Amino acid sequence: MLELILQALYSGLLAGGYYAMIALGLALVFGTMRIINLAHGELVLLAAYVAFEMERSFGWTPLASIPVALVVVGLTALVIYLLIGRIRQDRELNSLILTFGIAIVLTNLILMIWSADIRSTSNSWFMDGVVLGDTLFSMRGEVIFCVIGVLLLAATYWWLNHTWQGRALRAVASNRDAAKLMGVNPARIEALSFLVSGVLATFAGVAVYTASVVFPAVGHNLTIKAFVITVLAGMGSVPGVLLGAVLIGVGETLTTTLAKPSLQELTGMVIFLLILFLRPSGLFGRKGMVKK
Amino acid sequence: MMKRFTSAVLSKRRALLACCAVGTVMMASPAMAAEFVLGSELPLTGKLARVGTGMSEGIAIAIDLANAKYAGQHHFSVQTIDDETNPAKAVAAVEKLASDHVVAITGGYGSNIIGPASEAAAKAGLVYMTSGGVAPELTQRGLDSFFRINNADGYGKAMVGLIETMGAKSVAILYSNKEATAAMATYVQKALTDKGIKITSHEFDDTTTDFKPIMNKVKLQDRPEVVAMIGYENDYIGILRAGAVLKPDVKAMVGVWSLATAQMNKEFHDQVQGVYGTSPLPYPVVFKGGEAQDFAAAYMNKYNREPDYLQQFGYVQTMLLIDAIARAHDNDGKIEAGEIARELRATTTPTMIGDVTFDKNGDNPNFTHRMGQHQGDRVELVWPANAATAKMNYPAVPW
Repeated sequence: MLELILQALYSGLLAGGYYAMIALGLALVFGTMRIINLAHGELVLLAAYVAFEMERSFGWTPLASIPVALVVVGLTALVIYLLIGRIRQDRELNSLILTFGIAIVLTNLILMIWSADIRSTSNSWFMDGVVLGDTLFSMRGEVIFCVIGVLLLAATYWWLNHTWQGRALRAVASNRDAAKLMGVNPARIEALSFLVSGVLATFAGVAVYTASVVFPAVGHNLTIKAFVITVLAGMGSVPGVLLGAVLIGVGETLTTTLAKPSLQELTGMVIFLLILFLRPSGLFGRKGMVKK
Repeated sequence: MMKRFTSAVLSKRRALLACCAVGTVMMASPAMAAEFVLGSELPLTGKLARVGTGMSEGIAIAIDLANAKYAGQHHFSVQTIDDETNPAKAVAAVEKLASDHVVAITGGYGSNIIGPASEAAAKAGLVYMTSGGVAPELTQRGLDSFFRINNADGYGKAMVGLIETMGAKSVAILYSNKEATAAMATYVQKALTDKGIKITSHEFDDTTTDFKPIMNKVKLQDRPEVVAMIGYENDYIGILRAGAVLKPDVKAMVGVWSLATAQMNKEFHDQVQGVYGTSPLPYPVVFKGGEAQDFAAAYMNKYNREPDYLQQFGYVQTMLLIDAIARAHDNDGKIEAGEIARELRATTTPTMIGDVTFDKNGDNPNFTHRMGQHQGDRVELVWPANAATAKMNYPAVPW
């Protein structure tokens, strides 16, 4: 039983690493613009399909396809931002409807271009097993993208706290008008946050393509997962995203091991509701955020 | 002169008679011939888009070949509505098709979608023909207008038959908690238990992507000889990848639908080697018989690739429906309520998937699938023995 629990914890940690990568982009936009980008999962999916296309057409490895995916997803994220920028009233509510519509358009675009077949990397190097101490098993791709995920989280945290753009982004998130008075251009900063969100979605998409399988309808599940982690984390909190993602990942795998695999999704939701009940502003959210 | 006049009059009379005769024939044909529009409600987007699209292609080929078969007599076309893998939208689609006066419905995928959609069709007085829902509950509702050419028992019999042939003593069943897969798992579990085989089972959710914790339980606790996978393509790949990492000491990985296909062999070649799944035909496809060859040629001509089981089932169900419509119409030049259903119940037709008849619940009791195994670049039929194209590789796992 100990072996099973250790493997569950290890798998949960690895899953948490890549869940965090998926959620961070959504959390960033949510934190800065109070916008829930319901097309975020589809951006992740788009990156996965770009990686697939590069592998199919040119034989590139998923890692080598990241620059191309960055351009495609980054531009798509900017287009979404420009569309949201045209909303003049009730931006928080109307952007929900708009991004939901964009998600449907993106899903169907992917369906038209790449059909509904399931896709995943055929590069066996990423699928080779990595064994730690004869008891912990994983695919090489999972380890690589978990490490990349944690590094990206650390880099984003550093960027938010130690660069002018990062501070400006936090200033806009805190008080848009005050930031404007301090010489920050909110529109540019918001565009930047969408762009960074696109970068994070790109890495997440390539990770999903490598460690799992993708098909056009999977974007919706990714958005839900990212949303749960974002709310769990507390508004725009980077450490919160990591902790929330690991909690969900470990919760799911422990449920599979100790109870029934079919209850793992329920476990994630129970953790979500429990934490919201105990800490309404999320794990790392500041008190008062909810009232506001 | 008189003779020439008489002859001319006679010629004119003959010509008139001939014209009348031709006219009568021409008038008679349109009275018997008819234009039939079939309705099709299918998931062309959403989670089941791949299988829905496959069935839709089979239906399109059936329409093409039916128009060739009934040329000069009847003309068939299909009006398709995407149900977006959503039961509520499937019901709306059927209601729209009924309001557009389609003659019957062919299509549907997913037992949870087909259930309400076929009830809507029954309310509208339309026959609903499918191959996309295998849950036993569908044919236990007493709907006179519901027909299907395949069922869970047929898939289950094949899986159980193969495992029995292997002589396995213990089996771990990993199954998705969707309606059709759960029903199938129940059938397989009971059938194998009745044969004295030790069973353990693990139900998983359709959002599961990491199967390592489940496979680790199989490896460390269950220790079966065979792993039976009852799910869909993404589940199979997840399970097989987890197996490749954890390397449980099993002798075979056996799945059901959507696994022993050309697509899986091409896309996931190394990951599916030695794996079994249901398959009506081997790959590369060998079509025997005139109709099967016509179907394969028409499909290749239209889509520029080889058909798989989805297209075959879509074709067979639609062709049976079309033949029943034609018979119902040709009896007296019109189709009365319940006549298509009566004609379908009278069906005893050999098809590409074997003989098809329908019992009082609309189920096809003759349906039994075959089992294929991925062997290199091919999918060989390995069960039953009379349909086998190669010897079963056992034990064999992809890792």
